[in-house]
Amino acid sequence: MRSKEITGLFFYNHSGLYPDPIDYSELIRYSYLFENVAKAYTYSDFIWNEKNILKKIEENNFKRIIIAGLIPGTVKALFSKAMALAGKDPEKVLLASFNDYCTGTLFNPERLKIVLASIISGIPYEFTGIPDELPVNNATLVVGGGISGIQAALEIAYSNNLVYLVEKSGTIGGKMATFDKTFPTLDCAACILTPKMVEVNQHPNIRLMSYSEIIEVTGRPGNFNVKVLKKARKVNVQTCIGCGTCAEKCPAQAPSEFDAGTCMRKAIYIPFPQAVPNKYLVDAENCIYLKNGKCKACVKACPVPGCIDLDEQDSEVIINVGNIIIATGYKPFDAGRMTQFGYGQFPNVLNSLEFERLLNASGPTSGNIHFRSQDKKGNWIFNTSTGKPEKIAIIHCVGSRDKNFNKYCSRVCCMYSLKFAHLIMEKLPEAEIFEYFIDMRSFGKGYEEFYERIKQEDVSIIRGKTAKVEQHGEKLFLRGEDILKGEILENLVDMVILSVGLESGEDAGKISEMLNIATNTDGWFEEAHYNLDPTGTCRGGIFLAGTCQGPKDIPDCVAQGSAAAARVIQSILKGRIRDDSMSVSLEHVERKIEELSTVPI
Amino acid sequence: MSVRVQPELRNQLIQFGIGDWNACYHCGTCTAQCPLSEEGFLFPRKKIRLMQMGLKNELEASVEPWLCYYCGDCSTSCPRDANPGELMMSLRRYLTSIYDWTGMSKKFYTSELWELGFIIAFAALVVLSFLIVLPSMGYHFTRELTAEGGVQVNAFAPIHVVETFDWTMAAIVASLLISNILRMYYKIIWKYGNMKVSIWVHIREFWLLILNFTVQPKFNKCDDKRYWLSHWFLMSGYTIMFIVIVVYLPWFQTEKILPVWHPQRLLGYYATFGLLFGLFVAIIGRIQRKDIKFLFSHISDWLFLAMLTLTAITGILIHIFRITGMPVATYISYIAHMSVLVPMILIEVPFSKWSHLAYRPFAVYFQQLKKYAVPR
Repeated sequence: MRSKEITGLFFYNHSGLYPDPIDYSELIRYSYLFENVAKAYTYSDFIWNEKNILKKIEENNFKRIIIAGLIPGTVKALFSKAMALAGKDPEKVLLASFNDYCTGTLFNPERLKIVLASIISGIPYEFTGIPDELPVNNATLVVGGGISGIQAALEIAYSNNLVYLVEKSGTIGGKMATFDKTFPTLDCAACILTPKMVEVNQHPNIRLMSYSEIIEVTGRPGNFNVKVLKKARKVNVQTCIGCGTCAEKCPAQAPSEFDAGTCMRKAIYIPFPQAVPNKYLVDAENCIYLKNGKCKACVKACPVPGCIDLDEQDSEVIINVGNIIIATGYKPFDAGRMTQFGYGQFPNVLNSLEFERLLNASGPTSGNIHFRSQDKKGNWIFNTSTGKPEKIAIIHCVGSRDKNFNKYCSRVCCMYSLKFAHLIMEKLPEAEIFEYFIDMRSFGKGYEEFYERIKQEDVSIIRGKTAKVEQHGEKLFLRGEDILKGEILENLVDMVILSVGLESGEDAGKISEMLNIATNTDGWFEEAHYNLDPTGTCRGGIFLAGTCQGPKDIPDCVAQGSAAAARVIQSILKGRIRDDSMSVSLEHVERKIEELSTVPI
Repeated sequence: MSVRVQPELRNQLIQFGIGDWNACYHCGTCTAQCPLSEEGFLFPRKKIRLMQMGLKNELEASVEPWLCYYCGDCSTSCPRDANPGELMMSLRRYLTSIYDWTGMSKKFYTSELWELGFIIAFAALVVLSFLIVLPSMGYHFTRELTAEGGVQVNAFAPIHVVETFDWTMAAIVASLLISNILRMYYKIIWKYGNMKVSIWVHIREFWLLILNFTVQPKFNKCDDKRYWLSHWFLMSGYTIMFIVIVVYLPWFQTEKILPVWHPQRLLGYYATFGLLFGLFVAIIGRIQRKDIKFLFSHISDWLFLAMLTLTAITGILIHIFRITGMPVATYISYIAHMSVLVPMILIEVPFSKWSHLAYRPFAVYFQQLKKYAVPR
């Protein structure tokens, strides 16, 4: 026991979780085993105000106070003041947060006791809760080939270590590859991303496994065995020359995933012209041969013999790695869930990813803004045959900051919406643009300046979200309150863009189960420590990068990708890696406390 | 005019209903959603802003809470679960207590003990007057039936006594209501509104008052049209009953059993149907709590519904027992009827939920006046 001072323990059990998963009576019983704990209280024992706390301090002559619970910092000020009023050291108010230290979403009681034991004895968790170290395999697996995954893979590859980059879709690049420009610098997204993608493909230390998924992970930190499902691409990546003859002949069509469904692609396709690997693949769901057993137009057209094998089957590969970086990204909020905005009912209500493709020079309309129309087969797509909108409304916070959908702020929507306004002004200088926002969150470096710049341009930025979008003839009708002017704003526009928020990826649940890492209530992966370890997880050798951990913009994704890589390289250089934080037992911590207590300061 | 912030407003408002106006982050969805919100009369968001800022004077001068008919669309679409619809409802309760100069309204809304106590006291007075006062005046109930086999109601409750009582009660209620409406006018147009409206506008726009009293066209502007009809049946049934009982009691309370097609019976049947239909919809809604409109029930909502239902049922019983010739049952239900009706009218009409029958149409009228007002 390092600390001998009389300690008051206060459990802040005002967690807002129903039912409260934590058994406070058990924790109180445990804390009384320490001789320096004079008294333990919970939030429901008495009314926590300055006067009452002061009374408790004076009654028990507390020299030190520990507040334990979920986000205990909320009430710290009360205690510091009460300590000062009692003539004691206000600095001696310590916090034991149950959110951190890998207690998991179920608040494992043993982990909670470890946190308590460390803080009560006065020896920080960072010394008592150190897991054992294990030898490490130098190879690394990066799951997800978006900008975060690419960054992490390149950082590790340049340190002369082997990286497996597993990507679910046919090309790496992720969501960023579909964007037109990045905010606030208005860089062309493809121009800065595609060189990196090519770098990944050509790097001798990177084994790119596109159109593959991880399906099983076994082993311990430093030595994971990962089973990877290589989905049948049905085109030989080695021999395909990317000429495109097959796609020309293919009679089957499907909406292009890369273009967010704004145009059609063939059943044998390349996601986009700069795809990496720049090879074709077959969409088994829409291929006529795979459905009916007849066609093979692509095989006949292909100039390379044996390149297309429509009967190829999925295969499995097992790879052995020391570390895993998760960079699985996000999925956009499904705007159709907010029925009041008419997404999916009215053709010219778009979500932001669709509009991003519409703006993009490599998109369906070569970067010209046109209306959505039906093609001969009845598919709603964009093409240049229709007119151009004159009035465009952009609605912020679709699906975000809304208790009915997602409570959190998706962080990027305000800025990309402002970027849209600017890009529309560039392409359609005559157009009128209306931004309907609640609060403008321009939080990053240069973002507020970007907002000021857009305000100078001829954009109507209206405070007040619209309630609904209705189709009035050809036009879309919006009714909103202009809060700053204090009036009702009724508006007929040609096109509505919904700034949809970010949601955790489709596979987040599956991956969290596979790797035994926690997700929070919104489905984002839980980091080891909110402030101090945002890339680590409670498992050793598994790190997070990019939007799979929470909504963030491109610079933050890149930074986190690099940070995760640094953690991996650290373990490789050291040759050893820490085991899972959860592997530390309470006995181990208690033994450690005994040991360290004897060390003189 | 200076603006005065009154932080204690929060504690006063909180007694009048459920709702968390601090949850509101002013996205404007509710105002945009509301088909009744119009230029210059924006709600609910703007009113929530006033509540958050503690601007008591501005709140008291607002007509907007009365323009809301609580369809609940704003609460459904609110991204913050702030329940703007319920906040408007709470504001209406608050405003009722503000218009009332006696201070009884506030007591009734904030203390169940006061409200129940007064109801029971009035009921007891009614029972006592039937059992002691009327007999001492020489009116006794009789088991003898009329020639047609009906009960002699007038022997027990003589028309001229009941009529005098009715008129007295109506006069008390009307004077309270009218004085409150004058206070409402003073607050909205004169004191805080600080505006001048010509007398000609007052006269010209008077028709709006009558229109809104009789058919509530604003209610029908809500996207959800179902409740307008049930409310209209309830309102028309009640109004007919009230007029017939107060103004035409000698014509209505007869001992002679008139034929079924007689206007006296037809009007009575229509009014009963209207009342029961409206009550049925409201009670079922409040029990099921499926519709957001009925999600929160203040004690005053339940008391009002309960008393009106009891009045209607005892009224039906009087009718049935009278024409079937069951004197004791008739007299008991007559006493029961009066002992619910009297507290309902004396408490609910000037001080509680029922007062909206005057405040709502007047609010529309005042809104119209405000549109033509010039700054003083």
